[in-house]
Amino acid sequence: MFRTALLRSARQAARSTPRWQTPIARPAARSSLLQSKQIIPAAYFQAVRCYSASAGLSKDEVQGRIMDLLKNFDKVTDASKLNAESHFHNDLGLDSLDTVEVVMAIEEEFSLEIPDKQADAIHSVKQAVDYILSQPDGKGAIPILRH
Amino acid sequence: MSSASPTLRHQVVRIYKDLLFLGRDYPQGYDYYRTRLRKAFASQRHLTDEDQIRKGITRAEFVKKEIEALYYLKRPVF
Repeated sequence: MFRTALLRSARQAARSTPRWQTPIARPAARSSLLQSKQIIPAAYFQAVRCYSASAGLSKDEVQGRIMDLLKNFDKVTDASKLNAESHFHNDLGLDSLDTVEVVMAIEEEFSLEIPDKQADAIHSVKQAVDYILSQPDGKGAIPILRH
Repeated sequence: MSSASPTLRHQVVRIYKDLLFLGRDYPQGYDYYRTRLRKAFASQRHLTDEDQIRKGITRAEFVKKEIEALYYLKRPVF
């Protein structure tokens, strides 16, 4: 009984979520969701719920993802200097071309496009995290709406 | 590169980004492409004369067209 109620609410939640989606669409991710819907509906619900969580990205999550990305970047030799405040050039020894590659990797990681002007201003992990959080999809949007 | 005017610097960064983006489907692999592209740009880093840099950007634009042509010729034929 409880199970069916849970599944019903799950289905309703899954149906109502598209309303909360922001205009930045991710067709690839959605198509894989649709496929999983045909196979296991429960997994579909789970995926959608994670995907459209109203809280957005937390600062720690963004920071962790960017730092993982830098850890795997082959030009970063001294991983011990990598922290939340690391400067790409001064701390990690990356040059301007590497920075472009890092910014491209960040764009790919978060499925967004950073305009040239803003991309040019990103020189450190902190700036990258701040930029991601300032995006409408990020957590930074919520305080702005409250004020 | 940093000594040049900011707009030229932007142009260089943009063409580097465009070329990197194009290289993701390069026949010999992205890493092969990326190291070579990087070397090509790094070898021109001493340029300070604006005309020389502009020439370099023109050359990069030409390479971009070449790569597009390569993909066009390598496309699957139905």
